[in-house]
Amino acid sequence: MPILPLMKSSIRALTRTEALDRQLDEELQSYLELLIDEKVRNGSDPSEARREALMELGGAEQVKAAVRETRHGAAIDSLLRDIRHAVRMMRTAPGFTVVVVLTLALGIGANTALFSTVNAALIRDIPFPDPDRLVAGDKARGGVPVGPVSRLDYFDISDSATSFDGLAAWVAGEVTVTGEAAPEVVGIMLATWNLLPVLGVDPIVGRNFLREEELEGGSESALISHRLWQSRFGGHQDVVGRKLFLNGEPRTIVGVTPAGFRFMADVDLWIPVERGDYFLDPQRDSHSLRLVGRLKPGVSLAQAQGEVDSIAAALEQRYPDTNKGKGVLLYNLQRYMVGDARTSLYLLMTTTALVLLIACGNVAGLLLARGQRRMQEMAMRSALGAPRKRLLRQLVTESVFMTLVAGLAGIAVAMLFQKLLLQLLPLGRPGLPEPSLDATVLLFTLLMSVLAGAAVGVIPALRATSYNPWEELRAGSRVSGGSRASRARILLVVAQVAISVVLLVGSGLLIQTMVRLTTADLGFEPQNLLAGKVGMRAAVYESAEERSAFFTTLVERVETLPGVMRASTISKLPIASPMTDWPIWHADEPRPASGEAELALARWTTPGYFETMSIPLLRGRDIATTDGPEAAKVLVISEAVADGLFPGQDAVGRMVKLGWTDDVYEIVGIVGDARLDGVRSDFYWAMYMASAQMSSTFQWLVVRTSGDPLLVVDSVRGILHDMDRDVVFADPRSMTSIIGSNLSAQRTVTTSLGVLAGIALLLTSIGLYGVLAFHVNQRMGEFGTRVALGAPMPQLMSSVLARGSRMVGAGLLVGIFMSVVGTRVVRELLFETDPLDPAVFLGAAAFLGSIALVACVLPAWRAAHVNPMETLRKE
Amino acid sequence: MVESRKEILRGTLDMIILKTLSLGPMHGLGISRRITQITDGVFQVKPGSLFPALHRMEQEGWIVGSWGDSENNRRAKYYELTAAGTSRLGEEREGWHHLVAAIGRVLEAS
Repeated sequence: MPILPLMKSSIRALTRTEALDRQLDEELQSYLELLIDEKVRNGSDPSEARREALMELGGAEQVKAAVRETRHGAAIDSLLRDIRHAVRMMRTAPGFTVVVVLTLALGIGANTALFSTVNAALIRDIPFPDPDRLVAGDKARGGVPVGPVSRLDYFDISDSATSFDGLAAWVAGEVTVTGEAAPEVVGIMLATWNLLPVLGVDPIVGRNFLREEELEGGSESALISHRLWQSRFGGHQDVVGRKLFLNGEPRTIVGVTPAGFRFMADVDLWIPVERGDYFLDPQRDSHSLRLVGRLKPGVSLAQAQGEVDSIAAALEQRYPDTNKGKGVLLYNLQRYMVGDARTSLYLLMTTTALVLLIACGNVAGLLLARGQRRMQEMAMRSALGAPRKRLLRQLVTESVFMTLVAGLAGIAVAMLFQKLLLQLLPLGRPGLPEPSLDATVLLFTLLMSVLAGAAVGVIPALRATSYNPWEELRAGSRVSGGSRASRARILLVVAQVAISVVLLVGSGLLIQTMVRLTTADLGFEPQNLLAGKVGMRAAVYESAEERSAFFTTLVERVETLPGVMRASTISKLPIASPMTDWPIWHADEPRPASGEAELALARWTTPGYFETMSIPLLRGRDIATTDGPEAAKVLVISEAVADGLFPGQDAVGRMVKLGWTDDVYEIVGIVGDARLDGVRSDFYWAMYMASAQMSSTFQWLVVRTSGDPLLVVDSVRGILHDMDRDVVFADPRSMTSIIGSNLSAQRTVTTSLGVLAGIALLLTSIGLYGVLAFHVNQRMGEFGTRVALGAPMPQLMSSVLARGSRMVGAGLLVGIFMSVVGTRVVRELLFETDPLDPAVFLGAAAFLGSIALVACVLPAWRAAHVNPMETLRKE
Repeated sequence: MVESRKEILRGTLDMIILKTLSLGPMHGLGISRRITQITDGVFQVKPGSLFPALHRMEQEGWIVGSWGDSENNRRAKYYELTAAGTSRLGEEREGWHHLVAAIGRVLEAS
């Protein structure tokens, strides 16, 4: 049959189902009457003829069902019928429906939210053309990635490599912008001229940097972001050619990047990195740049890596002093941008999948129980001629329809979950797509809903339709034949308990990690400490004396403020700004070969820093005001450096060399170890120079207060404004909030996992309660009889409790075993916490056990307080 | 009534009904009785297979049903062959002859 008439007749069949059914009824009626006439004609008496005719017809309903099946669109028709029936069933049992839909909505919602995050980070492409050809690169020593690449190495690699359409390098930082509007501190990226071409991004106004601009002193250009264009230049087209002062250095704007362009860091300015004599990485042993490249079409990552390796080997030959064992490791850019977030994402995705499993377990349990109650309905329908296939299809349709409704509700849950928790999840570097509920995510939700519906529906449906109708009908109102269904429910609960144990152990470990992190000894006292950035214009403060005098005056004036106990400045604030490790060696020895040098974090401070931070001065003295630009160079080292470089000796008074110059420093003091690179960092090697001797124009101001540190922010701003209107106090924050954001990723993962484990535990308790309550309900008669015969209450309660504890016990055992195997997943996220910590395991088991007990007590109590008269009357 | 064990050969019910209707319009019971009569009771078509077949063929456009009065003034739905039905009968008949000839050759092969 041609398509068009087929569609017509299908639509007709669907839209006119009732009319067609009526006609069929009439036709069968007329058939019956003709048959009766025939029999009467043949001599039967009318009532006998009617009986015979009905038998010969053989069940009008079956005939009608068979005819319906042949109709075009019959499948859709019966589906609609099933859905109508499902809606009816849902409306007749609203409580049941609400519980099922909410349970599944929770599970599906959490999964949708997590999947949207995973989708953004791991599945969707980063927003650059041909993203598969983009690679990132880090410096490697012995094949292990160890941070940024040297500018000089970069130019050598980029000049000779043929695998790339372009290889760019960048480093992000901050700068004070002045000129035309109020001074502000913004993010800046120093990038090679070809960064935008490599990424495939064009400026929306003006032009990109030119290749010539990477020549020494070749550029005074800057690109600005769409945001800065709008906020500072009102979005005027004539922005190109206007001037900006970056830390006082003039720059000419040549172009504006597109709105929403983000790559690796949130910055508003780009300036070109130059060749030759340049302030960044002046030596081959100084490393500041990260690489990003675009592979030529058809070149694989491995091929490019091979070429880069051979260039690195050549550089090693040419510069044995600095390049021994040094290489560059390439990564797929997207993988690089996601970074460590991958572990957390996988962990949370697995967890939410497990929560959905538990939710499905509960719903399957409820459906099994209802199936037992609906056995009579099924038996009746089967006796009336409904084939088992048809009943099965109807039951599965019912459950799938319910999960689809739950899926819709789940999308709302997903939005909530995303707002409350996942937004806090650090998704790797800026530039990755934002998580959103796009078509892929919605398709995932749909698929998951259907799968969940089939998963929870099939077994209960098989059970509900697998009995002999006669037996069921004869059993009357009592529920029978349910022992197999009950066993299935018990297994479900055991599995749920086991999964809950795993999740509880996992979140227990993370919670303990969080406790360890928040109470970790940082080596300094973070309470009542304010920190903010102060940067001056190098052109205005030309000499080291002027710069030093500015910071000294600032500290003196801040210390006169009420509520301020001590103040000082440092080049890099602990936790907030990590890295910058320099070699350090005995002054009487030659500079150690690169790769063999001892490295220590290099910081420069003004006097009073250790007192301000409450870092104990163990021996010797602090940096002093007398350690000026012309005085002999001095150094304060951490205890770890003293023990490492001068084991068993007194380090104070010893001479060392450090960094990239040949200057000799005298060690004047030893201070306590502190965590500088982050709360999790256990690298304690640190050395502190005098900032007056480093001629620094940028420092963090740290202020120890007697009360709330944020209360002095305005006064500090006032002092700075008074000293120099072009110097700002940027980004002032309390040290505790800086530590808080350092831990926010971990905190979000911990909270998410905790919430999910809580949901799992709640669902499991409900499942457990459901099974026991059903068990008690079914045996009301028995309990009634036992009460009537004088069975003591505790005995009745304990029989129910024992049943519950057997399930919980079995689940606990399985769960603990699974946890022992499974904690390796979270190992990477732990901090000073043993993945097999017995306290956590015991705690999880005890917590689950006590909640489970509560879920068991209620049904047990009901069993023991049965009113015998009532139940026996019901029988 | 003698219960016949002979089921109508799968796939031939359509052909038999079409052939029966080629003699003139008929209602359901009439078709059923006519088939029994022609085949000397070898084939019996029960309502459970008759009605689905009739409705399927009506949807295919091979037959068309209309309400009319029976010989003793009962209302009944009469089915009638359409042009498409006539050509369909031709196809089925040809197919059947091919089948019979083929089976014959199989049986006579030595």
